Amino acid sequence: MPDADPRLYLLAGLALFAIGFYSLVVQTHLLRRIMALNVMGSGVFLAFLALALKAAAPMPDPVPHAMVLTGIVVAVCATGLALALADRVQALEANEETPAPEEPPSAETGSEPEDAG
Amino acid sequence: MSGLILGPLVAAALAFTFPKRGRGMAWAAAGVVGIAVLSLIRAVLGGGVQSHRVSGWGAPLGIDLRADGLAVLLLALTALIAVAVTGYAAPYLRAADSPEARHRERYFWPLLLFLWTALNALFLSRDLFNLYVALELLGFAAVALVALEGKGDALRAALRYLFVSLSASLFYLLGVALVYGQCATVDLALVAERAPRGPALTVALALMTGGLIAKAALFPLHFWLPPAHANAPAPVSALLSALVVKGAFYLLLRLWFEALPVFHTPAAARLFGMLGAAAILWGSINALTQSRLKLLIAYSTVAQLGYLFLVFPLMTGRDGRFGAWCGGLLLLGAHACAKTAMFLVAGNILRAAGHDRIRELAGIAQVLPVSAFALGLAGVSLVGLPPSGGFAGKWLLLSAGLREGQWWVAAVILVGSLLAAAYIMRVMTRAFAPAVPGTWVRPVPPIMEGTALALALVAVGMGLAGSWFVELLWLGGPWP
Amino acid sequence: MIPQLLDGTLVLVVVALAWRALNDRDLFRGVIEFIALGLLLAMAWLRLRAPDLALAEAAVGSGLTGALILSALVRMRRREQAAAGQPAGVATGPWAKDRAKNFSRVLLGALSVAMLGTLAWAALSLPAKARGLTAEALARLPDSGVTNPVTAVLLNFRAYDTLLEIGVLLLAIVGVWALRRGEWPAADLRERPLLLSLLRWVLPLLAVGAGYLLWIGASAPGGAFQGGALLAGALVLALLSGLGRRLLRRGRLVRTGLTIGVLVFGVAGAVALGWTGGLLQYPTGQAGAWILVIEAAALVSIGLTLGLLYLGGRPGEK
Repeated sequence: MPDADPRLYLLAGLALFAIGFYSLVVQTHLLRRIMALNVMGSGVFLAFLALALKAAAPMPDPVPHAMVLTGIVVAVCATGLALALADRVQALEANEETPAPEEPPSAETGSEPEDAG
Repeated sequence: MSGLILGPLVAAALAFTFPKRGRGMAWAAAGVVGIAVLSLIRAVLGGGVQSHRVSGWGAPLGIDLRADGLAVLLLALTALIAVAVTGYAAPYLRAADSPEARHRERYFWPLLLFLWTALNALFLSRDLFNLYVALELLGFAAVALVALEGKGDALRAALRYLFVSLSASLFYLLGVALVYGQCATVDLALVAERAPRGPALTVALALMTGGLIAKAALFPLHFWLPPAHANAPAPVSALLSALVVKGAFYLLLRLWFEALPVFHTPAAARLFGMLGAAAILWGSINALTQSRLKLLIAYSTVAQLGYLFLVFPLMTGRDGRFGAWCGGLLLLGAHACAKTAMFLVAGNILRAAGHDRIRELAGIAQVLPVSAFALGLAGVSLVGLPPSGGFAGKWLLLSAGLREGQWWVAAVILVGSLLAAAYIMRVMTRAFAPAVPGTWVRPVPPIMEGTALALALVAVGMGLAGSWFVELLWLGGPWP
Repeated sequence: MIPQLLDGTLVLVVVALAWRALNDRDLFRGVIEFIALGLLLAMAWLRLRAPDLALAEAAVGSGLTGALILSALVRMRRREQAAAGQPAGVATGPWAKDRAKNFSRVLLGALSVAMLGTLAWAALSLPAKARGLTAEALARLPDSGVTNPVTAVLLNFRAYDTLLEIGVLLLAIVGVWALRRGEWPAADLRERPLLLSLLRWVLPLLAVGAGYLLWIGASAPGGAFQGGALLAGALVLALLSGLGRRLLRRGRLVRTGLTIGVLVFGVAGAVALGWTGGLLQYPTGQAGAWILVIEAAALVSIGLTLGLLYLGGRPGEK
């Protein structure tokens, strides 16, 4: 199969970036916004790889490939951190709606019991 | 050079693995970094700009590190502030022997060390993609440190900060992709050699700049800063205001004056200047109207960041170029020390009074004389009275503006200084009012007051060391 | 003709699915569409001749990220129901019939379209045949210690990026642990001995597979990240089935596993510095061995970090 046209994928990447950015600003639900960041990131990665394909002689440029691999790992780390933070914020807001919370707010902190030694 | 990165990074990993050794690790890292910074300063002053090819390849395939006067200055500033915060944080975190306090202390040290690693990496790297990884390291550490406070406002501010930081990083990264597509390299120096003027690099620079001014909290993208800086634990607020936002500003300098100087047109420079001026006015006016001390200090950061961006319009001509550069960076250093001192004092006040509502802070000078003195000295530098670093920096900017015939810069600096004097006076008049019984409930350890005073003294004394700054900044700067 | 048609369809579906995933009224369906988007992107990576990334995207970008978001959604829904019996403020979408809101959305939409146009204009102005660094990378490949060019870039030419990246991984888990206590998935596999005994077979196989991916990564698509992702998958399965809980309670052991990547990488960098005078500059002729040691340590940390991210917080008693 012949190589894909890099420009097509480049444009798709930019479209994902724009869609992600629009949704990040417009959406209010924290999970949607976290997904929007991921879509923006995928758009950037798509652009990097399309550019790598342009230099395909005899093989695609491995440097952007390595950069995207780094980027994917950073993105999943960001998602993990954002989800943990979003969860805390959402727990706060759920607690504010009910006057008597099930668990005291301090239940999220505190030392780990396994670290006694 | 390597010790500046490996030291704090390995210490961060060890501080996480052995939580009880966290503070010790921070001091060990401080020792390694201190020695490395001092030997780097000696090397730069003696032998000029220092470079290092990581893994031995060299750009464009490999990653280059480079320490010029600017980088060394910021590395030293970072070390100074980080050491001060390390000294301050130990008693600050041990305020109470509650599970919450232990939890905070446990995670504070590794996060602080990660932040330090990220800043050092940012100041040394010459590689646009590597700088992206360093920026993410910096952003994650900063957000996690803000969230460490654990209260609702801090968590919300941290989340907003994270969203801004991550999307800004992606804007930056898309710009890097375009640069790579055009120049087939991400090395700053090689990009400068291969950069043709054209749509690709124009848009790339716009994307990277947009992302970085959001991270540097330049007006009007400053909205995330006041809640994040005001709600973080005091030592963290100090780090964020003194260093983290400056990291993004530093990278902007690298981009506009080293990688892509062909794009530094009068129009672009004027835009930066206008945003900077707007930041000074907007931040100062907001600082005047805040009712909480930490918010006042945070808005003051928004204003002070504006001054730094005045460097852009002042660098367009030939006459004022070096003066403006030195003035901006001197101001950066003085602000970092003064602002750290102020946030640490705010932490002391919070400790002693349990709140930071300015109206109810009568008698700081009576109860915490050292802190009040530090606050006053830091204020002297923020306002820009001689002989402070703030004065020297503003003076250099002013004279560069007059030499370039840009009178409006002088006007902005003058108005900004008057407003700063007004908001500092607002706090100081409360400080010297007689104490109301029952306001000050808890003692503050002397080391927490001493650290703040030491940094305030550095900020004030920095003006006297101006010639040393100028000598260092000349090395490897953007002039022929 | 057929390949162009395939590329065109793939790209259209990717863009449409991205829009749907982020703007679907039903959040749950949006998350599923988001996961599907990740799988389609893996196909796109294949079309762009990036099999290393297709592997990573399918495992990490789609699989793990999707699992993280899905479990967060379940947790948030449960809390909303417990809190008020009605969706909390945070969960209401942008669907309010608010005129000011609609106006700002139109404005932002126009802004985004203008941004897209500008980006496309810039991207299409790029040279059609890029120089890239393919030639440089291939010329240095024999000295890199591996034969897979992507692994050579990651662990030799640009090893410093990877060092900082392993730092980012550790920082992420430190940040998450500082924020929350994790929630163990409800283990109901104990009543299903057949599945449990199957898992006892599958999990070691996955671990061996991770090691294999690491080994093969020197010469073929694969490497520490892909292997780490597989290891993380095994760990998530173990968490879901309630296996390995006792192991995860051993705090210092787990923390050592999480940090060993940074420690070995950092110490290797320092030793190399003393040996050759260059940070992360491996001694001549030994690069392959150094890379293998660093990757093995990184594999453990990557697998543990990604797997424990699924827990959503620090492991502790509840």
